[in-house]
Amino acid sequence: MSNEKKWGDLEIAAVGSAVIIMGSLLFYWVLEIESMLELLELAYGSAKLFNNPLVY
Amino acid sequence: MLNSMLGQYRRTIILVVVFLLIAILEVLEVRTTIYGNSLPFFEWMKNSSWLGIIGTTYGSVYATIEAVHLLSMAVIGGTVLATDLRLLGVVLTDIPSETLTRGTHKVFRNALICAIATGIFCAAGVADKVYYMPVFWVKMLALVAGGCFVFLVKQPLLNSMPHSEINPWTIRLLATTSILVWFTVAAAGRWIGFS
Repeated sequence: MSNEKKWGDLEIAAVGSAVIIMGSLLFYWVLEIESMLELLELAYGSAKLFNNPLVY
Repeated sequence: MLNSMLGQYRRTIILVVVFLLIAILEVLEVRTTIYGNSLPFFEWMKNSSWLGIIGTTYGSVYATIEAVHLLSMAVIGGTVLATDLRLLGVVLTDIPSETLTRGTHKVFRNALICAIATGIFCAAGVADKVYYMPVFWVKMLALVAGGCFVFLVKQPLLNSMPHSEINPWTIRLLATTSILVWFTVAAAGRWIGFS
């Protein structure tokens, strides 16, 4: 017989919603950081990280 | 058999249904339709509602209520950090986490009610401006997600049993998600101010 505790309804709902919310927020903030870096590229024009038309 | 399973996993089933519903509404572009149709409401809030008129006419009233809004947000931030850093085992480790989470939750609930009430007034004064800001909608979405997460999922789980009986990784995940979601609400709120 397994000694591992069976996960209850509340625990599954908590982990599921936490993973979905945290994943969405991390995705949002990573996209914001990427767009900020793109703006910095355009502003200072010396690095080509994502999509800088000033650097070939 | 099916009935007992539905009863046993009620919250999980509701969660799956809610997320499926959100996905279906997104595919059907319901959110875009609601966004487009809500502009008259925002214009009415700014120009015709008494909240908008007071907010745009009396700068001192607006500033005072905004100060209460910021203080409420500070209390929310304080309770969230105290609770979640305690759950992560970083601060206040000499106080039982069950005692701390129950105590801070009452303060958090009252501060959230105050922040929402004053926030509606603050938004009414600049309703035609915030309507066009994506970051305002990000804040509203994070606020709804954070409120549902705390009141329907996190707190019921923490109140249901001694914290030592909950998987420690579940507690860490809940605490980290809570910090991230309220950080997003606060950061988006300040971003509105600088947009």
